[in-house]
Amino acid sequence: MEVDGTWNAFIIDRTQTGFDTSVWDKIASTVEGNTISLCWQCGTCTSGCTAREYDPNFSPRRFIDLARKGDKQSLQELESSLWRCFSCQKCTHRCPKGVLVEEVVHAIHNYALEEGLVRKDPGTKFDELFLKAVMDNGGRISELLLGSMAAKYGMVSLSLKDLINVSSALLKTGLIKTVMNPEKVRNWEKIRKVLENAMKEEIKL
Amino acid sequence: MTETYGKVAFYPGCALDGLGKPYEVSIQLVANDLGLKYERLDDYNCCGALEVKNVNTMAGFLLPARNLSLANRVKANTVMSACPGCHYSLSRTHYFMSKYVKVKDRVNFYLKEMGELPYENNLFMIHVVEFIRNAFGPEKLKAIVKRRFDGLKVAPYYGCLYVRPKQYLQTGYMKIKDDPERPVFMDELLQSIGAEPVQFEAKVMCCGGPHVYSDAETSMHLEARIIKEAVRNGAELLITDCPLGHVAIETNMTKIEKKYGVRISLVYFTQLLALALGHSPEEVMLDANITRPMDVLKKYLR
Repeated sequence: MEVDGTWNAFIIDRTQTGFDTSVWDKIASTVEGNTISLCWQCGTCTSGCTAREYDPNFSPRRFIDLARKGDKQSLQELESSLWRCFSCQKCTHRCPKGVLVEEVVHAIHNYALEEGLVRKDPGTKFDELFLKAVMDNGGRISELLLGSMAAKYGMVSLSLKDLINVSSALLKTGLIKTVMNPEKVRNWEKIRKVLENAMKEEIKL
Repeated sequence: MTETYGKVAFYPGCALDGLGKPYEVSIQLVANDLGLKYERLDDYNCCGALEVKNVNTMAGFLLPARNLSLANRVKANTVMSACPGCHYSLSRTHYFMSKYVKVKDRVNFYLKEMGELPYENNLFMIHVVEFIRNAFGPEKLKAIVKRRFDGLKVAPYYGCLYVRPKQYLQTGYMKIKDDPERPVFMDELLQSIGAEPVQFEAKVMCCGGPHVYSDAETSMHLEARIIKEAVRNGAELLITDCPLGHVAIETNMTKIEKKYGVRISLVYFTQLLALALGHSPEEVMLDANITRPMDVLKKYLR
């Protein structure tokens, strides 16, 4: 804003400018974030959002707005919210403009992680654990395998009584064997190598 | 309507070879009784669920794509999943591969390196509820029921990914796909064996699935909400078609009861159908259910 004389020194800008416009470009160039440009900010995604019921700062509409403006500062301040999406898909499903909101939210979160705007959260840690479990166990997983891996990293969700209930059901039916040691994909080592190679490729649209 | 689906390949997914075994066993019993045919995919791999896609784009496409490629190898027209998570994953990959040529090219490049066939976007993805409902139908089922569950009040829980999002799963776009906000296909099947679906607005409510480990408290609250809605409307059993939701809710039941004062027993919908078709509780592996549905069901099983 242009004001004459000393007034210029203490009138704050009333419009938001000076943000990093590359944020929008980067997110729109990812496969997941590609539909970010379609958003017209109606808020349909956010009004039905499961995560928002528990965290008032979780707002897909606002995340998209901030990312498109390039307001990294505000995204950074949302560190404890950005990762909370449950992937229930209501937002994507209901979006009247065809934004794949759930995908876009993850693209924004991934951008924030890559740029070091936010620290690694429990959700991402678990996702990485899941991928590791698939890779290390021959392309398949089981609930028990995943549970015990998660427990090793300090994420425990079962109470002792529930654990006993689960185990006794498994023992009674003889299911314990398959759950402890899931079958492996026969050609896994070859597939794994291709996968690891493919995972290095960053696919840009 | 079996013609609609052509040759059906069944993708079991890890859950059905794990804690969800009773689900698979009962699907098989029901399909045999109804004369529905499908081929179980051999040597499948994990679909990556909702986790892998968040940490690596290519792995998020390749894991499901390999399974689609396996279905092509057996010359299937349709891929059926029993786990909505798998159904979603496979459909998501199909969607991205048909929308972005670049994704298709890269995925097929790596499939070739694995020694698999390319995926040519030629398959139709369905869930087992849709399969039984469309290929056999509730009216015909009603006629062959051997053991009716008259008056049994049930709350059918479909889970998010059975219907959402429409872009991937095509729900609401055609008659053989369910209503995306208020699905009814499972209700229809349950009605035909005499059970009475109660009013239940949590049919497609989130169970907190992907965050059961990383955000346990919130997930448990979400699960309790589903149970409360069922109990509030007088349901005696929660009927599921999603092994992820089923296992998540069952394994947390003691904690939920302690904290929120509600509990309910869970049964896979195919377990109940198989019982209605005359099979024994042992055959449908009712013992593998961690909650105790037998307490409710025993009066019907005499």
